[in-house]
Amino acid sequence: MPAPMRLDVVSEFPYKHSTGEVIGRFLAGLKEQKKIWGQRVAGQGVVVPPLGYSEVDASAGGEWVEVRPTGTVTAVAVVREPIANLHPADRPFAFVLVKLDGADTALAHVVTDDLDTLRVGARVEAVWAAERTGTIRDIECFRVL
Amino acid sequence: MSEPPREPVRYVEATVHLPYHYVAGDSRARYLHALKDKKILGSRCSRTGKVFVPPLIASPESFAPAEDLVEVADRGIVTTFCIVRIPVMGRNVELPYVAASVALDGAAISIFALIQECKPEDVRMGMRVEAVWKPDGERQGDHEDILHFRPTGEPDEPLASFINRL
Repeated sequence: MPAPMRLDVVSEFPYKHSTGEVIGRFLAGLKEQKKIWGQRVAGQGVVVPPLGYSEVDASAGGEWVEVRPTGTVTAVAVVREPIANLHPADRPFAFVLVKLDGADTALAHVVTDDLDTLRVGARVEAVWAAERTGTIRDIECFRVL
Repeated sequence: MSEPPREPVRYVEATVHLPYHYVAGDSRARYLHALKDKKILGSRCSRTGKVFVPPLIASPESFAPAEDLVEVADRGIVTTFCIVRIPVMGRNVELPYVAASVALDGAAISIFALIQECKPEDVRMGMRVEAVWKPDGERQGDHEDILHFRPTGEPDEPLASFINRL
């Protein structure tokens, strides 16, 4: 039998996701204003991140509303062993849903510190990235207050 | 300011990164080693006698073992093809080029191959082609040992001879 042959191959798919008008302006708010914007939508209250329509009655549009960078955790999923180049951190972290103060829906994000005290109901605050480029990671993470 | 900037961010980049550790099994390793000697190996189904290239350890059709390795020709028939006019990242072949399925003489199924040394518009289903190998001493035992296939100039084969070998 011949010796085993091994090959390490990395496949990369460089996607560019078109953001559209609404998420595009939400991201521009993070990047240029360091502000988190939602939209007040029929039947749903203030939706963050905004969608540009109501998921309840499908009506279009919505008034822009700035929400606070602080909020309450509504769900936690701790990742103890992150996968390189897939997960948003290279050490244990948690995916969280955060209902920001002033918002009626929760935003998906990450918490990288104080995982022991992180729980549903914990109060958290957005930590801004040193360099903002117009992505959701302009908020680097949320930290437990 | 009571609303976000008028000018939206247009797109976000998200690269999907998939690291594979590929290990060639016994028959695939034999197949790759044989390329160094300019030989293309297939495996013969113990029930139907069909030869699969690259070798499979069992027939996906009959499920019978296919453990006997046999050499097939380094020439065959273009069974189907596509003219590529759009660049693909990481592939430095001059456009346009032809990506084809080639049924090697002696094989029941086609392999994927690059057709060169002719105009793309001259490639046809049924055209006879032969492998162009890397020079002696440069072959590494990988799929790039075959640089490409080129027309042999022989007469085309009739559709019936390869319709079941796409």
